[in-house]
Amino acid sequence: MSRTRHSLRRLLSPYVLLAPGLLWLIVFFVLPTIQMFLYSVSTGSVDFGYKLTWSFDAFTSIPTYFSRQFENSLIYGTLATVITFLISYPLAYFIAFRGGRYKNLILFLVIAPFFTSFLIRTISWQIILGNNGPVIGLMHAVDVFHQVPENFTFMGEPVAVVSGLVYNYLPFMTLPLYVALERIDLRLIEAAQDLYAGPWRPRGWIYGAVGGALLGALIGFGIDWDVAIFAVLGAVLGAAMLGAFVSESFLRVTFPLSLPGVFAGSLLTFIPALGDYVNATLLGSPKTQMIGNVIQARFLTSNDYTTASALSFVLMVGIIVAVMIYARMLGTEDLSGGAMI
Amino acid sequence: MDQMGEKGLGNVLEKRLSRRTLLLRGGQVAGLAGVGAFLAACSGSAATSAPTQAAAAATTAPGTPAAASAAASAAASAAASAPPPSEGPMGTILNFANWPAYIDVATSGPDNGKSPTLLEFTKATGVKVNYQEKIDDNNSFVATIRDQLKAGLDTGWDLMVLTDWMAARLISLGWISKINQANVPNCQTNLVDSLRNQPWDPPNDYHYPWQSGMTGVGYSKKSVAKAGMPPLTRIADLWNSKLAGHVTFLTEMRDTFGLGALKLGIDPATITLDQVNQIVSDMTPLVAQGLRFTGNSYLQDFANGKVWAAMVWSGDLASSGSSDDTFVFPEEGTMVWSDNMLIPKGAQHQRAAEAMMNWVYQPNIAAQIEDFVYYVCPVKGADAEIKKIDPPAATNPLIFPTPAVVAKQHAFKSLSIDEDTQFNNAFNTLMGS
Repeated sequence: MSRTRHSLRRLLSPYVLLAPGLLWLIVFFVLPTIQMFLYSVSTGSVDFGYKLTWSFDAFTSIPTYFSRQFENSLIYGTLATVITFLISYPLAYFIAFRGGRYKNLILFLVIAPFFTSFLIRTISWQIILGNNGPVIGLMHAVDVFHQVPENFTFMGEPVAVVSGLVYNYLPFMTLPLYVALERIDLRLIEAAQDLYAGPWRPRGWIYGAVGGALLGALIGFGIDWDVAIFAVLGAVLGAAMLGAFVSESFLRVTFPLSLPGVFAGSLLTFIPALGDYVNATLLGSPKTQMIGNVIQARFLTSNDYTTASALSFVLMVGIIVAVMIYARMLGTEDLSGGAMI
Repeated sequence: MDQMGEKGLGNVLEKRLSRRTLLLRGGQVAGLAGVGAFLAACSGSAATSAPTQAAAAATTAPGTPAAASAAASAAASAAASAPPPSEGPMGTILNFANWPAYIDVATSGPDNGKSPTLLEFTKATGVKVNYQEKIDDNNSFVATIRDQLKAGLDTGWDLMVLTDWMAARLISLGWISKINQANVPNCQTNLVDSLRNQPWDPPNDYHYPWQSGMTGVGYSKKSVAKAGMPPLTRIADLWNSKLAGHVTFLTEMRDTFGLGALKLGIDPATITLDQVNQIVSDMTPLVAQGLRFTGNSYLQDFANGKVWAAMVWSGDLASSGSSDDTFVFPEEGTMVWSDNMLIPKGAQHQRAAEAMMNWVYQPNIAAQIEDFVYYVCPVKGADAEIKKIDPPAATNPLIFPTPAVVAKQHAFKSLSIDEDTQFNNAFNTLMGS
């Protein structure tokens, strides 16, 4: 008797423990998702109500009308993720391994901008990149050969939107990277250096140059600027980084062990950046609108819930599929398991 | 406008103060006869005692023939029917949602930053006004209260100001409370003829205009001259390549498509989806050159020189722009619209909301608001009143449009729900979203 009760308890306890989370997920994710899907296949208006007609017109019209905004979202989201990674990794590395007693202070500084409102932080970029702002001022000041056109502007261009995204999502990349790097047992690196990994990566600068050039070209293409210049710049920087700073032990021990952080950080940055509309609204122009802007406008100004729901649904499914592929490629369990051993 | 520099404003305020003390005394006298009687007194209602008639003399403008006829009409409508909710006590608070920069604000003295109109209202009626500049955009504001309206619940607002097309839609949906005309005799008498008999509410059962205004072209004289262009006179000038990248249009679909239609010689009152598409393709090249769409924030863009010329609302540059920024009535015409006071269904203080409507339809109060906001005045007799506080304003075409301006005013078509969605979608596509 007591034995069966005991086993029943054992059988049920995981579900009881899961219940609050499951309930939360059902109420705030599953049900709204179903509701959203039903809206997307309904017809009607927001004032008179919607009727479920199972019409998929809203979905079939997406490629014709909204492919540009999806494209923008994808490019800006990817660029923002890549650039935050390039900035965050050295930063997290420094905090984790060289931070010493200033670790907590530097971590605090990473989060410090978050004490200001998201909107204020984004609007301040209007000033930074504005026509009378410091960046353009400096460009004109150092421009002795008058290569920068008089009416040169950042605002409304992709570069402004990507800058805003990078700035706003930087801590979401830095913190997971820091956590992953901080966990690494330094003796592993020491052992690697003693046994097989020299301080320099042989021919690292070649890999760096190739990788940097590709990355630079991608960034140049994404923000609609001169691809060649960015490729050359990327090649130089990449060669310098990999050639001078990156050692074999880093590539074979540190980096693989930090992959769970890379995975978490890139998801935490990429997913919200993809759906973001505030940066494109405040820093962009009609040609740099992202899919989030469309969803916002259709929901709140056109009152076209059908299209808005269809777009949200497609975006969500797209993100889930992309994340699953990414997880399969980079994996999480194996890597985190590996890091634990 | 330009004429009204800092000094002019100071003078006006001083005069206002003296007017206010007069009002105060009137209010105190009226207080003896009860608050309700005082409101009746404002309109010169027949059923008042001697002291309240003194108050009436203090508040209604001399030179307005309104008072006498108001008495008659107020008595008549009072005798007719009075819906129960407006008969109750005034209450102590009025929740009032309005657009930014849409009421007079004292710029000095002890009431600095507050609205004299609202303060005087509180003194006269004992009703505190919770005045919030919560409306930036018709659709976005209504989205915040739609569910309550649908269910007939309290939205938290007793009075709100929405543009004609949105007002028409909400009225047709039955979401707006009927006004007890007995409580708004000033509105009945003093509403200007041009804003009467709106097709969506001909007897003014549900609305009275707060302000009306025009959408036209605004530009910075210096910037346009620097770009090598003569002063702008037409909507089509905004398409000039010399201004490329320094032009903004409005995020209100009816304003932007309205002016776009006028530019192409299309009548906005009968506009079709095909014509909308024509306008969109006319504007698309500008978007590629860096055209942006804004609401009131074009004021900041003008201030920091980012924008040289724009589609703007008539009063804004005069009230909040620099002396270099000017509004022009374009040759092709202007779009005319009105923003209207509405009492949402479920409002908790309908009586106070009606009192506010009645209050701002006194010519002297209307003049006081107009002298600050520079929009078109919906109140008869305000021109005579404004002459006393700011003589040049009485002939300002922004506040009192000349016949030539009125002749070129156009209204936007009243759209069906389907058209509304189609037009908005076309507009969002133009705006990149």
